[in-house]
Amino acid sequence: MLYQLLISGIAQGSIYALVALSLTVVYRGTTIVNFGHGDMVMAGAFVAYACVVLLGMPFAPAALAALALLFVLGWAVQRGLIEPIKAGPHIGFAMMSIAVGYVLRGTVRAGWGREVLPMPRVFDVSPLVVGDVVLTGDAIVFVGAVATFMIVFFLILYRTQLGQIVQAVFQSERGAALVGINVGAFHGATWGLGGGMAAVAGVLLAPVTLLYPDLGANFLIRGFAAMTLGGFGSLLGAVTGGLLLGMTEQLLGGYVSTKLIDIAAYLVIIAVLVLKPNGLFGRTAVVRV
Amino acid sequence: MRGKADARSLAARLGAGPWPVYCTLILALLVPLSTNQYTQFIVNLILVYVVVAVGFNIVIGNLGQLAFTSTTCFGIGAYTTAILMVHVSLPFWVALPGGAIMGAIAGVLASATALRGIRVYYLAIITLALGELMRWVYIHADTLTRGTDGLAVPVANFFGFPFDSEIKRYYLFLAIAVAVVKSTSNLLRSRIGRAIAAIRDNELATASLGIATGQYIIAAFVWSGFVVGIAGGMFALLIGRVAPESFDLTELIFHFAMVMVGGLGSLAGSVLGAITLTALPEFFRSLPGLEEMLFGVLVAVVLLFRPKGLASFFAAFLPPFRQRFCRPDS
Repeated sequence: MLYQLLISGIAQGSIYALVALSLTVVYRGTTIVNFGHGDMVMAGAFVAYACVVLLGMPFAPAALAALALLFVLGWAVQRGLIEPIKAGPHIGFAMMSIAVGYVLRGTVRAGWGREVLPMPRVFDVSPLVVGDVVLTGDAIVFVGAVATFMIVFFLILYRTQLGQIVQAVFQSERGAALVGINVGAFHGATWGLGGGMAAVAGVLLAPVTLLYPDLGANFLIRGFAAMTLGGFGSLLGAVTGGLLLGMTEQLLGGYVSTKLIDIAAYLVIIAVLVLKPNGLFGRTAVVRV
Repeated sequence: MRGKADARSLAARLGAGPWPVYCTLILALLVPLSTNQYTQFIVNLILVYVVVAVGFNIVIGNLGQLAFTSTTCFGIGAYTTAILMVHVSLPFWVALPGGAIMGAIAGVLASATALRGIRVYYLAIITLALGELMRWVYIHADTLTRGTDGLAVPVANFFGFPFDSEIKRYYLFLAIAVAVVKSTSNLLRSRIGRAIAAIRDNELATASLGIATGQYIIAAFVWSGFVVGIAGGMFALLIGRVAPESFDLTELIFHFAMVMVGGLGSLAGSVLGAITLTALPEFFRSLPGLEEMLFGVLVAVVLLFRPKGLASFFAAFLPPFRQRFCRPDS
C-alpha cells in the first residue's frame, strides 16, 4: 500500500514538477509569474490532440508541433504583450498572463465546444509488477519522459555556454546586459521555453487524461504549490516540491480521505507560507533599505 | 474669445462640482422605466459587482497589494447571509450585515498574511489557495451549505414589505451601492485613505514618517472585506441560491478584471469596470468560447493602451472630470 501510493505519487508529481519547473524558469528569467501557464499546458495537449486526431499525424511529430507552437506563443506573448507594460506594476503582469490564458481557453472552447475529449492511447508500455507493487505503463512513461527532460535541462544549464548565459541573466540583468547578452531576446526565449515546457507537460497528459478547456487551473495551482514547497524561485526546489506534492496527495488520499486529494495543494501552500515562507531550498530575501 | 474662456472655466467649475454624480443618480433612479425583467436582473447584477469592485479595489488598487481575497469575502458574505436567513430565520437586514462582518473577519485573516511579510506573488498564491479552500469547505459542509446543490435563499422581507421583484430589489441595491460608494469615498479622503495611498507608494517611507503602517494595512483589508461581504449578501438575495461554483477561480478573475479594466485605485473606475464587464458578455452568450476570447482581448487591450483603465479614457475626453475619475498622481 505505502509503496504503491508513493509510486503513483511520483508519477503524478513528475507532471507537477515539470509545470513548477517551467513556472520557475519564467519567474527567474523575467521576475514574472505566469498565471496563464495552466492554459498553456492545456493548449499543448490540445495541439497534440488536433494533430493526431484531426490531421492523422503520428504522435512524435504531433508532440514536436505542439512544442514548437507553444514556444512561438510564449515568445510572442513576452515580446508583444509583457514587454510594452514592463514599467507597470506586477498586478498588470498577473492580469495580462490571465488574459492570455482566457484567449487560449476561449479558442479551444470555440473549436471543441463543451465536450470532454478522450484521445487514443499512444504509449503501450506494459505494466511492471515488482512484488505486490504495480508500476502502470503510464507511470513509467511519465517518470521516464520527465526525468529525461530534466537531465537534459540541468545539463544544458550547468554544463554549457548557453547555460552560463542563462545563469548570468538570472543573477543580474544589468550585469548580463553589460557583458553583451541581449536581455530582451533572452526574455522572449525564456517565455518561449516556458511555453515549450508547458507543451511537454500537455503532450504527456493528453493520451492519459480526458481533455477539456478548463484543465489548466488544476495544474497551475499545483505548480504554485510545488514551487512554494520547494522554495519560490529555486529550480531544484520546484522539482523536489512537485514530487513531494504528488506523494503528499496520494498519501493523504490513501490513508486519510480521498476528499483531501483536491485540497492537498492548498493546504501545502498555506502551511508552507505561514510556517516557512522560503520553502525547502529557497534563500531568505534580503531587503535593502 | 472671452466667451470661450468663460465656457472653459464654467466647464471646469461644473466638472469640479458634484453635479456629474447627481446626474448619474437621477438617471439611475429612472433605469427601471426602460428595462424588462431580464435586463433589470442584469442591472441588479451590475450593482452587486459595483460593490464588489469598489471593495476589491481598496486592497489591490489603493493599497497596491496583490491579494486575491475578493471571492473569499464574497463567498463568505453570501453564505453567511444565506445561512443566517435559512437556518436561524433572521430577517435579511440582520443577515446582510452579518455577512459583511464575516467578510471583514476574512479580510483580517488575509491581512495577517500580508503583515507577516508574505507579499507580491506569495500573497497572491496564498490568497488564491485560501479562496479555493473555502470553496472546498462550502462543498463539504453539507449540513450548513447543502453542498453542491446550493442553499436556497428566501425572499428578503422588511417588516412585511417583500423585495420580491427585480425592480424592488433594484432600489434596495441602489441604496446600498450608493451608501458603499459614498462611505468608501469619504474613507479614502480621510487620514486612513491618505495613509493607505502612502503605503502603496512607499511603505518604508510611510513607516519612517511615524505612520503605523500595519494598522492601516489591516484597516484596508477590513473595509475591503466588509464591502465585498455586503456584495456577497446582495448576490445571495438576487440569485436566490448560493452554490459553491459561484465562488471559483473564474469568479475571482472576473472581479480582478473589473478593477483592472475600470482603473486601479479609482472609485469611478470600479463602477465603470463593473458595468462594462457585466453587461458585455450578455451580447455574446450564443457562441461558446467567444465570450472568454473577447474578455481576454479586452483586458489585454486595456492593459496595453490604457494601463490606468477606462476611467483614464473618460478623463482624456472630458478634462474637467479628470480629478473625479483618476487618482491625483495619474
